[in-house]
Amino acid sequence: MIEVKDIKKKFGRRQVLKGVSFTANEGEITCLIGINGVGKTTILNAIMALTPVNSGEILLDGKKVTKESFEKITFIPDAITMIPQMTIAESMEFMDDYYNAWNQKRADELLKFFKLKKEEKISSLSKGNTAKVNLLLGLALDVDYVLMDEPFSGIDIFSREQIADVFTSHLIEGRGVIITTHEISDIEHLIDKVVLLDEGVVLKEFNSEEVRESEGKSVVDVMREVYKA
Amino acid sequence: MKVKFNNRDPVYVQVVRHFKEQIATGMLEQGQEVSSRRELASQLKINPNTVQRAFKEMEEQGLIYTEKNSPSKITKDEQVLHRVREELILEAVDTFVTSVRSINVPVDELVELVKEKYAADSKKQGGNIDD
Repeated sequence: MIEVKDIKKKFGRRQVLKGVSFTANEGEITCLIGINGVGKTTILNAIMALTPVNSGEILLDGKKVTKESFEKITFIPDAITMIPQMTIAESMEFMDDYYNAWNQKRADELLKFFKLKKEEKISSLSKGNTAKVNLLLGLALDVDYVLMDEPFSGIDIFSREQIADVFTSHLIEGRGVIITTHEISDIEHLIDKVVLLDEGVVLKEFNSEEVRESEGKSVVDVMREVYKA
Repeated sequence: MKVKFNNRDPVYVQVVRHFKEQIATGMLEQGQEVSSRRELASQLKINPNTVQRAFKEMEEQGLIYTEKNSPSKITKDEQVLHRVREELILEAVDTFVTSVRSINVPVDELVELVKEKYAADSKKQGGNIDD
């Protein structure tokens, strides 16, 4: 379980996170929702200790995040970080060299799953396929937790559907996933938990099936209520 | 297997209902193996934990049974199968009655209309089979 406890973060005079708390369980998909600029990416960066927080703490399976524990998590940013001149195969080799947790078998499976060709250069890929390579490189690591920043943003509907299919496949099974998005409709049936953010605070944290069961509301219904209030 | 899910009912409840429909219409036969939880999540494009919950519910209702180390199967219990069919019919009739009641149609006229409609639909379906 990833526990985010009352984290605060200032950039200059701007208080981006004003005490954010939530939990994300292993084997579940937790979705951080909020319009751009509410601090979603900052939260992911904080979990990865890429951005030091001013106060609060983040626990991974009950312990403070350390260098070793990072081997349990992977962070997939919203844009690919590989050099565009590299081919997909070369990017995969790079990951293999760099990470102990690289799982070649799973990488090959993901290639097939996304129908990508190894020989292609990253610079020649469509936006959708670039997003898929980006996900592939992160998901091929044997880790317990996967953080994804806006995996559905700015790509065509078919790529979105293909990426959504990953969430129901064995390629994710058992892992804890945190994804950020501002567009929920594609994945409403895929997620376990929703964390609604606004201006650096958590407005509501709920389980999507529970809210359907007890209140007969969709995730979007709850969002409408919370954000309009 | 394609199912259109709505966003306001729990997805696991909708999965259970889908299975009941399949059982009642004979699409799923007694004793038939059902897809694994993983396969089902992929086919239906829903969260694997939700499928797990649906299976648990179906086991509790006696719709499926799982023997050690083998895939779940549709129940052979005639009583359960009968109950499923009954439940779906009653539900449909309930919905129908609720919606026509507001129009105040005499029940005899209604029964006549239902018969006509049924005959027309059966003809249509029969035609399809002949095609």
